[in-house]
Amino acid sequence: MPAKKKTTSFGLVLKPMKRSGTQVYRSLIAGKPNTVLYPYQKLDLPPTYRGKHTLDFKKCIGCSNCVQICPNDCMWMEKLEDPELGKIERPGIDMGRCLFCGFCVEVCPTVALHETVEFELAHSDRSKIKFGPKDLRDDSYTDKITEERQKRSIPVLDLGKCTGCEKCASECPEKCIAMMPVEGVGKKKPEINLLKCSSCGKCAVVCPDKAFAMTDVYESYFEMPEPKFVLKNCTGCGACSRACPADVIYMMEMPGTEKTLKDGKKGKPKKRAVFVLEKCVGCGKCFRACKFQAIEMPGVKK
Amino acid sequence: MNLFEFCYGLIHWLVDLINHLWYWLGGFLPWVFGDFFTWAGDFAKSDEHITVMAILLEVIVIVIIALINVLNFIWIDRKWMGRMFDFYGPYYVGYRIGGWLQNLADGIKLFVKEIITPAKVDRMGFLLAPVIFVSSSFLALSTVPLSPRFGVFTSPTDTGVPGGALIAFAFFAIAPFSILVAGWSSNNKYTLIGGMRSAAQMMSYEIPMLLCVASVFLLAGSFGFMGIVDAQHDIWFAIPLFIGFITFLTCLAAEVEIQPFDLPEAEAELVEGWTTEYCGFRFGLFMMTSYLRGYIGGALATALFLGGWQGPAFIPDEFWFLIKAYLVFVVIEWMRWSTPRVRVDQLLNIGWKRLMPLAVLNLIIAVALKTMGWF
Repeated sequence: MPAKKKTTSFGLVLKPMKRSGTQVYRSLIAGKPNTVLYPYQKLDLPPTYRGKHTLDFKKCIGCSNCVQICPNDCMWMEKLEDPELGKIERPGIDMGRCLFCGFCVEVCPTVALHETVEFELAHSDRSKIKFGPKDLRDDSYTDKITEERQKRSIPVLDLGKCTGCEKCASECPEKCIAMMPVEGVGKKKPEINLLKCSSCGKCAVVCPDKAFAMTDVYESYFEMPEPKFVLKNCTGCGACSRACPADVIYMMEMPGTEKTLKDGKKGKPKKRAVFVLEKCVGCGKCFRACKFQAIEMPGVKK
Repeated sequence: MNLFEFCYGLIHWLVDLINHLWYWLGGFLPWVFGDFFTWAGDFAKSDEHITVMAILLEVIVIVIIALINVLNFIWIDRKWMGRMFDFYGPYYVGYRIGGWLQNLADGIKLFVKEIITPAKVDRMGFLLAPVIFVSSSFLALSTVPLSPRFGVFTSPTDTGVPGGALIAFAFFAIAPFSILVAGWSSNNKYTLIGGMRSAAQMMSYEIPMLLCVASVFLLAGSFGFMGIVDAQHDIWFAIPLFIGFITFLTCLAAEVEIQPFDLPEAEAELVEGWTTEYCGFRFGLFMMTSYLRGYIGGALATALFLGGWQGPAFIPDEFWFLIKAYLVFVVIEWMRWSTPRVRVDQLLNIGWKRLMPLAVLNLIIAVALKTMGWF
């Protein structure tokens, strides 16, 4: 072990003076001090900085997933009438309670909600930092940022058009489509194994009835609850279909359920809800809309 | 023409101007006051009266210059410290002159604050301590001339107080007494500890400092600033008495109570030390005076070791003196913001075991130089 170098009391003063003299040279002669003169100069914040939110009205579907996941309960859905979009529901944010966790941004199924680098939100009035949907609206913001989340295109089946011709199952290059019988109906429909699907879009091309449509789906970090359908409770009222923001639920006429009327004619067939779960965002609106316990959603409050 | 002559002429001119009006007014009212007008006018014209008024004017001029220097010093201190710590220092008030007006703004703020006297203080000592502190510092200032023609003089041929340096150090050393009074009368344990520390600190630095000054007196053969500065015409005393100069600067830092020797007002340990109970403009006075003492310290070091106002003639003598005083102050500030505060026992160790032998060695060198006949 080398002997510790003894510092004289003279050196105890001169060494720090040399160090601070170097600092003066750096901040006075060679450059400028490290301080940022805040109101006049601002730091370049990273694009992932979590500041004030912005909302793309055209992308948002009003599913209220952000409101449900917010840990501080600082968001709410507001009903609006837009000249372009008609009657819509969009979220608002109370910045006084927001903790900037970014859950709402991550859970958004259509990537309509973003956090900007805007951080000057302080105000002397509390009600002024409650931002309604119109204050958050910025339809061009989503084009400016680079997309980070995984985007995937998958075929979504329109059951009303499908005739069960099995052409898609035979043409699929990955062989991931199998024809499965629809419950309660003497009909088969294609089931797609999405783990194998390579998003080539061939099924949509070959389908003679154009029942497949390629749809963009964003993969979420969150495990979304899925609705479970109880067929025997369904009355075919269509409330879930109207409530669904993501067009997941179609009302399909079930063949063989027609009642024979008194005059011998056949009545209209009963309708049943059919779910296209690939598009489902797990918001639970159908669960809340159904009054006959035909939809179950474990993990979602009524 | 020295400052006294200038002030004398100015006062004489003013008195003449006012006397014209005065006698003219007296012409209308002789029956009211009798000869009062004539008597008062003659008194105002008399040489004694004008001399006293000229000295007062001199004092005002010197104090105003000192206060401007104090503002500069506070600005230099804050700006220099800021750059040393990698930030800007004062910036917004007086943007175009580097934030110089910030000190004036702070002064105004202190001036309009409420002045509180705590209920349980010893009022006499509490109110007297700032007076002693400020007045002793200004008295020390008054003895230091900026040049042979710029100082507090009493006649056109006067060259300052005989033995001015002795008197300056005497007044300079009164401050710890007022600090002790302030610390005791504030009736607060922090202030009391601060005051006692100031007394203990004085024990350690005063003797080496005066020994260094004694060696300068020995070489110069004079107690007055004129004689000391004239003796440095060929060579500054900082060169033969280099050890003494360093010792003197160290003791000066302890004398004007700046880090690493700011034990009486150690912010981290004793809230604000002995100024804890003072607020408003009383604190402002203490703050102003502590920087004024920094200026006096720089001036004393300049006069004793750095050749005073002597320098090439393209700059006036007074400015040479100020430039050197500022340089000394900047070096002391540099040391101030670089070093940590010492403990009380460490300060006594430094004072008695390091500075005292150095001061004695310095005195021996001075005696040797004098006996060799080189000075």
